[in-house]
Amino acid sequence: MSSKRRIDWAIYAAFIFLIMLVPLLMDSFWINRLAKYLVFGMLGIAVALSWGYAGILNLGQGLFFGAGAYMLAMSLKLASQTSLQQGSDKPVPDFMLWNAEPGAPTELCCINKASFLWLPFQSQWFGVAMGLLLPIVIATVLGAVVFRKRISGVFVSIITLALVLLVRLVMIDAQPVTNGFNGLTDLGWFKIGEFEFDPYITATYYLIAISLGVVLVAARLLVETRAGVILQAVRDDQNRARYLGFDVPAYQTFFFSVSALIAGFAGMLYVIVSEFASPTFMDLSFSITMVVWAAVGGRASILGACIGAIAINMISATVSETEGFAEAWKAIIGLIFVLVVLYLPRGVAGLAHDLVDRVARKAPGAAPMLRVNDPSSQLAE
Amino acid sequence: MLEVLFIGLSLGSILLLVALGLAITYGAMGVINMAHGEMVMVGAYATVLSGLWLGTNIFVAIPLAFIVTALLGLLIERVVVRKLYGRLLDTLLATWGIAILIQQAVRLEFGLSFFGIHVQGLGPGLQNVSVPEVLQGTFRLAGADINRYRAFIIVVTAVLAFVTWFVIYRTIAGTQVRAIIRNPKMAAACGIDVARVNALTFAFGSGLAGVAGVMMSGFKTVFPDMGTPMVVDGFMVVVMGGVGSLLGSLLSAGILGEINGLVAAATNDILARAVVFGVVIAIIVLKPKGLFALRGR
Repeated sequence: MSSKRRIDWAIYAAFIFLIMLVPLLMDSFWINRLAKYLVFGMLGIAVALSWGYAGILNLGQGLFFGAGAYMLAMSLKLASQTSLQQGSDKPVPDFMLWNAEPGAPTELCCINKASFLWLPFQSQWFGVAMGLLLPIVIATVLGAVVFRKRISGVFVSIITLALVLLVRLVMIDAQPVTNGFNGLTDLGWFKIGEFEFDPYITATYYLIAISLGVVLVAARLLVETRAGVILQAVRDDQNRARYLGFDVPAYQTFFFSVSALIAGFAGMLYVIVSEFASPTFMDLSFSITMVVWAAVGGRASILGACIGAIAINMISATVSETEGFAEAWKAIIGLIFVLVVLYLPRGVAGLAHDLVDRVARKAPGAAPMLRVNDPSSQLAE
Repeated sequence: MLEVLFIGLSLGSILLLVALGLAITYGAMGVINMAHGEMVMVGAYATVLSGLWLGTNIFVAIPLAFIVTALLGLLIERVVVRKLYGRLLDTLLATWGIAILIQQAVRLEFGLSFFGIHVQGLGPGLQNVSVPEVLQGTFRLAGADINRYRAFIIVVTAVLAFVTWFVIYRTIAGTQVRAIIRNPKMAAACGIDVARVNALTFAFGSGLAGVAGVMMSGFKTVFPDMGTPMVVDGFMVVVMGGVGSLLGSLLSAGILGEINGLVAAATNDILARAVVFGVVIAIIVLKPKGLFALRGR
């Protein structure tokens, strides 16, 4: 293990240790908030994986986040008190009852034309399984089509962007099944066995913090595998990788799906802490905001993107509490973003890496290192 | 039926006005300008403000908005975009930051709201523009009631599309732009001042978006976030039509506008937009270069 890698892993360990320690210092309100930001940190990882390592700028990451969120939210909605009408033991979401046609049977199977889709979600674990499976399936199909056709660069971004907006509109239009613009609210709590994850308790925070730690380490190990290295070769020069005999679309599709899986997982965790799912998850601005987090933190650094997401959200939560600054803060974010793209294309993590490089070079016995090219220059088509 | 087709045509016209600017900036300069939608918004606000402060109507606002947004575009090109040539996806991100900045500038009334100063016509609220009487109501054409304002939009778009075609295909500056689209390095080697032409192209494209904003202000409410959906739609048009092809943008704007109008008439506006997105995805997947691809060299 080179000393640079050792420093890297030490930083990962320190970060995970830190997020485990935080609940000792905070009240339940902040614990809940921070849990949400850790979820955003997970989104940062998903973006870094697809953008930084695979070179695929997915402007529709919100699709996978939303898919995960809705799948679990459907289960939690059925588990909620609001779905049990007047002592009935068969759950029916309240919004379906409000909009039911007069005389329609008040059962999930047939209260409206598509409500039967909800039937299997009476089991919470079905929701969880779907929340993980659906993003993978969508990403695999999409990736298989797009990457096999050798569509790349900005065209992939446009396709993903159009797709997330399309799905968002369909979700809004399918009001009887999805509650349209309002989304799914008043959700029940996530349960493991008899234990209920109240979003304001420390256990829920740890559920998310541990998940984040696992995803973080897994993602890092994944990019260090042979497949991960080939992927980076594909990012830097697709044609060369193809001529060397690698099945380029397979690698791209695989990592695209992994990124989707992480985003879907993050969506489920977000539903657990925030107790709602809504079409805003699939807004264009949300998907681009994720990319902003990753860019500021460092697109080519998994931990950097993750910390970038958490830090920006922490700061903005603090700043926007000062009255009048909420809007100004957005302007500052815009400005920071322009400056980062112009002057820090590798984000804050890029700076940190340079520092680590310097330390590692000074360390005794350090192996001479190859200069790593700036990945951002290759990302531009 | 004719009415529906006509509505589709007017939707396509707005799309085209937005897309024309994007088509040239993206085609010629390889810049994805996410702040293009904000140019639409600024154009719409120029209409609101000139109406409130100068008492002028929408006809005066057209040249005014063009000048304001063209200057703003020039500024953006000089300060930010210039440094990002050759980094396509980075231009997308940086201009997204600029888009946020412009939106917040309007919302915060250029920061004046911190000092308790309120500029009438700015701020986070909704604004309305009243259309002059000449453009109100309908007239009959071939047995169909045609909305005058929509007809006006189509006429303005036709004129601007012609002007754009003329500039690009019949002037020396346009020849230079087309040379840059084909091959920027070779163009520079032939003595074309690429930086200057790019800056002017960017300003011209932004100005067109500003005029689109004036047109939109006449039939939609004006608010700081109005530009974001526009830039998305504009990009769909450009990519579907084929990057660098004005004819492609023209046709795809027409096709998407008509699809939008027809589906909206049969079902509702939400589904209509969804269908438009679906069509665009299908076309990019089937013909990644767009309907009318320009052969690069």
